[in-house]
Amino acid sequence: MFAHIFTNRLKCLVRNPITLFWTLIFPIVLGCFFNLSLRNVYGDETFSPIPVAVVNNETYQKDAAFQTALKSVSEGKDKIFTLTIATKEKAESLLADSKVAGILNDGTTIGMTVNHSDFNQSILQSFLDSYLQTSSAVSSIMSQNPAAYQKMAENLKDQTDYTKNVPIGNASPNGALTYFYTLIAMACLYGCFWGMQEVTDIQADMSQQAARINLVPVHKLKIFFSSLTAAFVINFSEILIFLAFLRYVLNVDFGPRTGFVILTSLVGCITGLSFGSFISAIVKSGEGLKTGICLAFTMTGCVLSGMMSQDILYTVRQNAPIIEFLNPVNLLTDSFYSLYYFTSLSRYWLNIGLLCAFIILFCTVTYLIIRRRKYASL
Amino acid sequence: MVISINNLVKRYGDLVALDHLSLEVQEGEILGLLGPNGSGKTTAINCILSLLKYDKGEIRVFDRPMAPDAYDIKRNIGVVMQNVAVFNELTVQENINYFCGLYVPEKEKRKQYVEEAIDFVGLGEFRKFYPKKLSGGLLRRLNIACGIAHHPKLIILDEPTVAVDPQSRNNILEGIERLNREGATVVYTSHYMEEVEQICSRVVILDKGRIIANGNKEELKNMISLGERITVETSVLSTGLLSALKNMPGVETAEYDGKQLVIKSAKGKNTLENTLDFLKKENIAYGRIYSEMPTLNDVFLQLTGTELRD
Repeated sequence: MFAHIFTNRLKCLVRNPITLFWTLIFPIVLGCFFNLSLRNVYGDETFSPIPVAVVNNETYQKDAAFQTALKSVSEGKDKIFTLTIATKEKAESLLADSKVAGILNDGTTIGMTVNHSDFNQSILQSFLDSYLQTSSAVSSIMSQNPAAYQKMAENLKDQTDYTKNVPIGNASPNGALTYFYTLIAMACLYGCFWGMQEVTDIQADMSQQAARINLVPVHKLKIFFSSLTAAFVINFSEILIFLAFLRYVLNVDFGPRTGFVILTSLVGCITGLSFGSFISAIVKSGEGLKTGICLAFTMTGCVLSGMMSQDILYTVRQNAPIIEFLNPVNLLTDSFYSLYYFTSLSRYWLNIGLLCAFIILFCTVTYLIIRRRKYASL
Repeated sequence: MVISINNLVKRYGDLVALDHLSLEVQEGEILGLLGPNGSGKTTAINCILSLLKYDKGEIRVFDRPMAPDAYDIKRNIGVVMQNVAVFNELTVQENINYFCGLYVPEKEKRKQYVEEAIDFVGLGEFRKFYPKKLSGGLLRRLNIACGIAHHPKLIILDEPTVAVDPQSRNNILEGIERLNREGATVVYTSHYMEEVEQICSRVVILDKGRIIANGNKEELKNMISLGERITVETSVLSTGLLSALKNMPGVETAEYDGKQLVIKSAKGKNTLENTLDFLKKENIAYGRIYSEMPTLNDVFLQLTGTELRD
């Protein structure tokens, strides 16, 4: 009986073009748009050396310490600056053309010239402040207590870090990923449309087909479970197709934990299905209202999870962190995020645990409503 | 006894939909459940099928109490709902196969049943069609096929011919009679008295949740005082002559609308001969003239004071 209901239900669902569009085609199209708009913004977040011009004049040539300091930050694998030693005119021309972030040593004193303030300029300023402070301190010590110079030089060589850097993960940062993860969460939650359909087709007071189903000599919950399994298979297959599309067509990185990514998607699909069933069971009005509620809930969840702007997620985190834990879309997004960024799985399991709690809640309420087999009115 | 309903009460708030309804359906009969919209026909059917909760009473089907989990009983019931209840995503054949499969798990047997059902409703050339491609009449036939494919012993049809063209309606009615000849007991609800008159061996008239008449067609017609109805096409009839007609022995009512004269006579009185004599005597020109025995609509009208389709 299970096979009979399952296969026929599968046929019904696969031939439903509207739900297929919303649960598969729409996320893929949205993914393409995200890819177009986000690739350039978050294309490469690895640090690139900042191009800087240095005016090659008498001040510069006489200041060996400055030259040494510049050399130490503009050579090697981890260099901060790419230096261009040039005349004052050439340096100004490079700055005007935005080919350099700033000019160090503008010709008279060791200072800097920039034409706007930004991230690179802040680094440049920070380097210069540090150099000027250190050179000032060294000059002061040498003039007041030359004997202490030797001791200071030894201390400088023997600097100790009192903090320890522990890597939280090996993944390279990429702000665009969160948007794609939100999109996967949305696609999972769109499984609610399948769940909604299943309850509509089993509750005799909701559809004619359901009334007929309630007359057959098969337990109602057996039919519901078989049908819901078919819906789950379709929903999960859609998500796997979507994940493959993101990974292999749009090159979205999920990190090395593929098994966990699939597990998260599976939990996401069950959350979506159970949520749709829950809404369909508790809302007695027409299908339009149920669809509206499912859409509104999912999209609100997406917005609060940072689908439109990461600032919204940050604001929620700062002002109402409880919402993060009550929002299934965010729990799913954060699960993918945790898998990608963090070596530890504690945050991931917390999210999955909360999602399972939601599933249990949705399923329990749905069961309590649909187990009823006689109706007050039809 | 196929169905036995005893003292059934169903209320929707203050509205009493079924008012102490008691009814029995014998094996092999076609029982017509007749009544206007809102009379309680569908509510009664849904209670029999254990879809609706009821406030009071007892329902037994095949001599056993009916309940949602009475699967042995349900296996022998076929239901054709008032509204078409099929899946738009499945073809004609797949729909019948799906619903039949919920009763008949054996594949080979089911395959045979599905073919028989398709032949029965004449949808052979439409077997690969999706419901959206079918006309209203063909959809109704599909609806019937889905309800009867599993060879039920009791078939309940709830207004299966609503919005169906005359040709499809005749096909459906002939099909129901055939099912009955093959051994099925049929409960047929309708507010089309012609259909009920055509196929039902017994008729129950429901009004406001109560049975107001129960019997075969002749028994029902005998319940009313009305006899034959004579219709005369004539364009010349004065008020004086109409009054004279009304005073003729055996005439209950006589109405004239300028084109037709309708005379209703009392039961047991033969007024046709007297009417013809009167027309000849008064030298009144007339066209067609015909006499009809009372219909179930007349029965309903006299019993309830309202037309069946009001």
